[in-house]
Amino acid sequence: MRFNIDDLPVLFPYPRIYPGQLGMQRLKCDPDANLSSQNNMRIYMCDLKKTLDEGGHCVLEMPSGTGKTVSLLSLIVAYQQYYPEHRKLIYCSRTMSEIEKALAELKALMKYREEQLGHKEDFRGLGLTSRKNLCLHPSVKREKSGAVVDARCRSLTAGFVKEKKERGEDVPVCIYHDNLDLLEPHNLVPNGVWTLDGIMRYGEEHKQCPYFTSRRMMSFCNVIIYSYHYLLDPKIAERVSKELSNDCIVVFDEAHNIDNVCIESLSTDITEDSLRKATRGAQNLENKILEMRDSDADKLKNEYAKLVEGLRDADEAREEDAFMSNPALPDDLLKEAVPGNIRRAEHFVAFLKRFVEYLKTRMKVRQVISETPPSFLAHLKEYTFIEKKPLRFCAERLTSLVRTLELTNIEDYQPLQEVATFATLVATYEKGFLLILEPYESDTAEVPNPVLHFTCLDAAIAIKPVFDRFSSVIITSGTISPLEMYPKMLGFETVVQESYSMTLARRSFLPMIVTRGSDQVAISSGFQVRNEPSVVRNYGNLLTEFSKLTPDGMVVFFPSYLYMESIISMWQGMGILDEVWKYKLILVETPDAQETSLALETYRTACCNGRGAILLCVARGKVSEGIDFDHQYGRTVLCIGVPFQYTESRILKARLEFLRETYRIRENDFLSFDAMRHAAQCLGRVLRGKDDYGIMVLADRRFLKKRSQLPKWINQALLDSEINLSTDMAVGSAKKFLRGMAQPFKASDQEGISTWSIADLERFKEKQEDETIRALTEAQRNGADTGDVQMENTRNGNEAAVARDDEYGFNDDELEAGMMELDNK
Amino acid sequence: MYRNAPKSVSDPSSNPLDDICPVCKSNRYLNPSLQFLINPECYHKMCSTCVDRIFTSGPSSCPVPHCGRTLRKKGFRKAFFTDLHVEREVDIRKRVSEVFNRRQDEFETLLDWNNYLEEVESLVFDLVEGSAAEKTRAEERLREYRDAYREEIEGNKRVGKEEVEGERRRERAEKEGARARRLAMAREVEEEKADVEKGKRDLLERLANSDGNANAITRQAQKVILKKSSARRNITEEVLASNGSANSGLTIRGLKKKVAPVEEKPYDPFGGVNITPARFTVQESYDNEWLGNAKKDTRHMAGGYSLQEYYARTMFEAFSGLGVFIEEEVADRGQKGDPSIGTAAAAEASGGKINIGHKMEIDDVF
Repeated sequence: MRFNIDDLPVLFPYPRIYPGQLGMQRLKCDPDANLSSQNNMRIYMCDLKKTLDEGGHCVLEMPSGTGKTVSLLSLIVAYQQYYPEHRKLIYCSRTMSEIEKALAELKALMKYREEQLGHKEDFRGLGLTSRKNLCLHPSVKREKSGAVVDARCRSLTAGFVKEKKERGEDVPVCIYHDNLDLLEPHNLVPNGVWTLDGIMRYGEEHKQCPYFTSRRMMSFCNVIIYSYHYLLDPKIAERVSKELSNDCIVVFDEAHNIDNVCIESLSTDITEDSLRKATRGAQNLENKILEMRDSDADKLKNEYAKLVEGLRDADEAREEDAFMSNPALPDDLLKEAVPGNIRRAEHFVAFLKRFVEYLKTRMKVRQVISETPPSFLAHLKEYTFIEKKPLRFCAERLTSLVRTLELTNIEDYQPLQEVATFATLVATYEKGFLLILEPYESDTAEVPNPVLHFTCLDAAIAIKPVFDRFSSVIITSGTISPLEMYPKMLGFETVVQESYSMTLARRSFLPMIVTRGSDQVAISSGFQVRNEPSVVRNYGNLLTEFSKLTPDGMVVFFPSYLYMESIISMWQGMGILDEVWKYKLILVETPDAQETSLALETYRTACCNGRGAILLCVARGKVSEGIDFDHQYGRTVLCIGVPFQYTESRILKARLEFLRETYRIRENDFLSFDAMRHAAQCLGRVLRGKDDYGIMVLADRRFLKKRSQLPKWINQALLDSEINLSTDMAVGSAKKFLRGMAQPFKASDQEGISTWSIADLERFKEKQEDETIRALTEAQRNGADTGDVQMENTRNGNEAAVARDDEYGFNDDELEAGMMELDNK
Repeated sequence: MYRNAPKSVSDPSSNPLDDICPVCKSNRYLNPSLQFLINPECYHKMCSTCVDRIFTSGPSSCPVPHCGRTLRKKGFRKAFFTDLHVEREVDIRKRVSEVFNRRQDEFETLLDWNNYLEEVESLVFDLVEGSAAEKTRAEERLREYRDAYREEIEGNKRVGKEEVEGERRRERAEKEGARARRLAMAREVEEEKADVEKGKRDLLERLANSDGNANAITRQAQKVILKKSSARRNITEEVLASNGSANSGLTIRGLKKKVAPVEEKPYDPFGGVNITPARFTVQESYDNEWLGNAKKDTRHMAGGYSLQEYYARTMFEAFSGLGVFIEEEVADRGQKGDPSIGTAAAAEASGGKINIGHKMEIDDVF
C-alpha cells in the first residue's frame, strides 16, 4: 500500500493498515521530518509545530501485536529515502528474538519497496549481536559461555597478534577475521538487508567473520538493529556506537524497562571472591611488567611517553580490539593527561593493589553500611592516601596497560577490571550512586558472605549521553504507562508523548478486576492477608473456575517465587490442584532457565493438541518478559495479586529515597507504577494481534484503585461494570465473552473498522482535508473581525475534529452486537 | 552488571596461615579471641598474648628469626590491612605525604603537577622497595625537602585540614537537610490524611443535619477535598522546585546557607505593563513662541499648572496610533493560525493565561 503523510510518500508492505498505525505515523513523522510549512496548515499541526522546531524526543505507547515495528520501520525508511540527509536509524530492542523479528520485517519491507518502486534502492540494513551468536571459527564457536568466546576471539584477532604474524612468528589467528582485511573496508557485504542468519550464511560462503563484518559496516549502513546495551552500557557504547553521527534516529523498542537497564549498566557488585581474583590479577600484571622490562623495555617507555601527553593520544589506535573500557567518563577528563602518580606501570599496579586491599579490609565489617561516594572517598584517602583524581583514571589506565603488555587471556583480568570500573565510577559521580555493604546474604544467615553493592540510583545518568547526542530519540512499548513517569525518571523532555488506543471490530479481549471471592471475602496478596486460608481458597476457586471455562492455554502470574511456592503448597493441601488437574495440565516456572524452557515446551505441546494447560509463573520472571502466548497458547491470563517489588531490599529503599529527593516521585507512586507496568506486561502477553482474543483477569482488591495506571488501550476496554467483580460474576461474563468469540469472524468484517485498505485511507484523508479547509476558510472569512469570533471558529473546528474522532472511535459493544446479528442471519 | 557473580563459598578466615601466630603457634581454633598485632619497626605479626608475654617487662628484640630489632610494647598496634606489605607502604606514604604536601594550584601547568606527583611516587617507591642505597638517598631527600620548605609545608597542612573540616561540615549539613525534608514529607502525608478524614466527617455531618439533596452535597464535598489536595501539592512542588534549583546551581562548600529576605516591591497598578512611551521622549522644555509667555506667567503656575504635563499630553496625542498596523496584524493572524495571540480579549475568551508581561509595541495604552 502506498500513501502520503504530508508530503512524504510512504510504502507500507501490507495491503491493510490499522488506523492506530496511521495515527502513530502521523505524529511520529513530525519530530523527524522537516516538513515544509505550506503543507502543515492543519489544525492538529499547530501544537506540533513547536515539535518540529525543537526536533526532540518522544514517548509512544501502542498496544502490542498491532504492528508497531513495521509502521516504525516503514515510516523511517520512507523518510530516509525521501529526504536528502539520509539519517541513519538505530533500532534497539531487548532480546535476540526481537532483533531477529525486526530484521525480518525490515527485509520484507525492502522487498516490497523494490517491487513497488521497480528498482533496487541503495540500502543496507544490519543486525549486531554478541560474538557468541555470530562466531564461525571452528573451535571458538563451540564454547558455551559468551565471555570465553569473547576472550578467545580477542586472542586471535587483536592488533598485536597480527603484527606478530607479520613479523613471522607462529601465532594462531582467525582466518575468518583476517580475510576481512583483503576486502574493501567500506564494502564488506553487498547492499541489502541482512538478517543474522543471512549474514552467517554469507560469512560461511565467503569465509569472512560475520561479527566483524557487521561491526565494521556499521558506519556504512542505513539501519542498524541491535540490543539496548550497545547504546546504553557506557562500557560497550564507547566502543561500538562511538562513530554514529548525531542526526541518527534512535528507537528504543519494548522500552518499558529501560530505567532498569540503565541502572544495571552502571551498577557493580563486588564480592570477596572477586577481590581475591583481582589481587591475583594485579600480581600477574606485576610479573608481566617485570618480564617486559627485561625483554622489551621500549614498549613500556613508549606507553609512558604517550601517557605524559594525554590519554586520548594513547588511544588513537583504539579499535574494535579494545577489550576493556571505560565507564562513562566526561569528555574533558579524557583529554587530560593521566595523573603523574599512576603514570608508571609499576606505580599503577601498586596503586591497584592498595585499593584492592582497602576494599578487602572494608569487607570485613559485620554490619550493614551504606554511604555516599564522597564519604567513601574521604575514608579511602584517610587510610590509603589514594586521591580522587587518579582513581578516576583507573579504568582507562588499566586498559592502556593491558594493551601495552599485549595480554591475551583477558578473562583472568575480568575481576580486576571490575574493580577498576568501580573505582572510576565512584570517583566520577558524587550524586546518584550509593555504596551498600551487606555482610550477610539474608537477615538470618550466620556465615558472612559480604557483598559491596555499588548501585546507581539515577537512571538518567546512563541514558543522558544518548539524549544529548542524538537529536531524535523515540521510546516506545506496548505498555509504557503512565507516560509522564519516563521523562521524569530519565531526565529528558518530550515533544510528543502519546498513548494510542486500539480500534477493534469486536471486543477481542476482556479485562476484568476481581476483588472478591464468591463468598464476598475480599482477595488480596497484601502482606497481612496473603496467607489467610480464606484468601488462598478464593484464589484457588478462581483458578478452578477459569480452568474449567478457558479453552487451551491459561497463564497465571504470581507476584514472587516465594509467594507462588507457599500458595501452591496450600492449594495442594486444600485439594484445589487435584480439581484443576481434571481440566488442565499444571506447569510451573522456576528460577532455573532450563527447567522453565522445558516447562514451556510441554505447555505448548499441551495447548496444541487440545489437552490444555496452566502455566504458573512469576510476574517478574523470564516468562513475563519475552515470551508471547498468542492464540491458543494463552486464552486467559490471571494476575494473582499486585506484583510489587520486594520492598525490604536496601537497594530499592535507597532508590526510592533518591527518587523522592531528586525527582519528587513519592515512594508509593513509584512502587505502584512499577507494579502496574509489570502487571500490564503480563496482561499483554496473551494478546498478540487483531485476530487474537483473550481474557485478562486482575485478581486483587487493590487493583480497583490502580485502574488508571493501566495502559490506555487496556483501560478503555475495561468497562465500569467489570471492575469490582466477585468470582462468580467474573465467570459469568467470561463465559458470555467466550461464546461471542466462538462465532465465526471473517477477515472482511474488520475491513474499514480495525483495518483500512487504501480506499478507506483515502476517504479518511479527504474527510480530514475537507474539515481543515472548512475550518480555514471560515477563519479567513472572519479574520478581519475581532479575535473573539475567530476563537469561536477554531473552537468549532476543534469540535468538529473531536466529533470526527468520535466517529472513528467506535463503540465496541454496538459493533459486537451488530457483528453477532450479522453472523446469526 | 555482574549482579550474579559467583558468590564466594569459602569463609574468609579459612586460610590457615592467617590464623596461626607465627611465634607461639597457637591458632584461632584453640583461642577464638586471637588477635594479631604488628610493630611498625619490622612489621612482623604476632598475637596479643605473645606481645604481653615478651614485651611487658620492657623493650626486647623481635622473636621472629633473623629479625632481631628491638621493639617496645608501646609501638604495637592492630594492622588495618591484611597484607602487611601494603600496611607498611601506607605508613611510609603517611610520612611522605606529611612532607610533600603540595597542592595542584601551586603549579603553573598540569604537566608540572603531574611530574611532581610522579617524583613523589618514585620516592615512595624507593622507600618501600628500593635497595638500601636507594632508601638512604630517599630519606636524605625527604629530610632536605622538609628543612628547605618548612613554612610552606605548614601552610599546606593547615589548608588541607580546613578542607577536610569543610567537607565534613558540608556532609553533615546535607544529611540534616535530607532528614528535614523527609520529616516534612511525612508530615505532609499525615496532614493530607487528616484532611481527608475531616472532610469525610464533615460530609457525614452535613448529610445528617441538612435536608438538601444528598448527591449534591456529596459532590460538593468531594470537590472541596480534591481542590485542597491539589492546592497543597502545588505549594509543595513550588517549594521543592525552589529548593532544587538552589541546590543544583553553584554552591560554595562549607558555607551556611543564608536566605536573604525578599524585598517587597512597590505596588504596581498596571500589573507590569510598560507605559513609558517607546517612540519619543518627553524633553525638559520645548522652545515655542506661544509657550514662552505661559512659561513665565506666574498666574498659570500658581494654579498648579505644569508645562510638563502639557508637553507629555501633546506628544502623546501626536504619536498615538502610529505603531498600529491593522493590515499586518490581520495577515499575522491568518499565517500563524493561532488565534490565541490575536488580542488580549481573545486570549481571555479562550480561558488561557493572559500574558501581559510582554512589552506592548503600541503606545496606545489607555
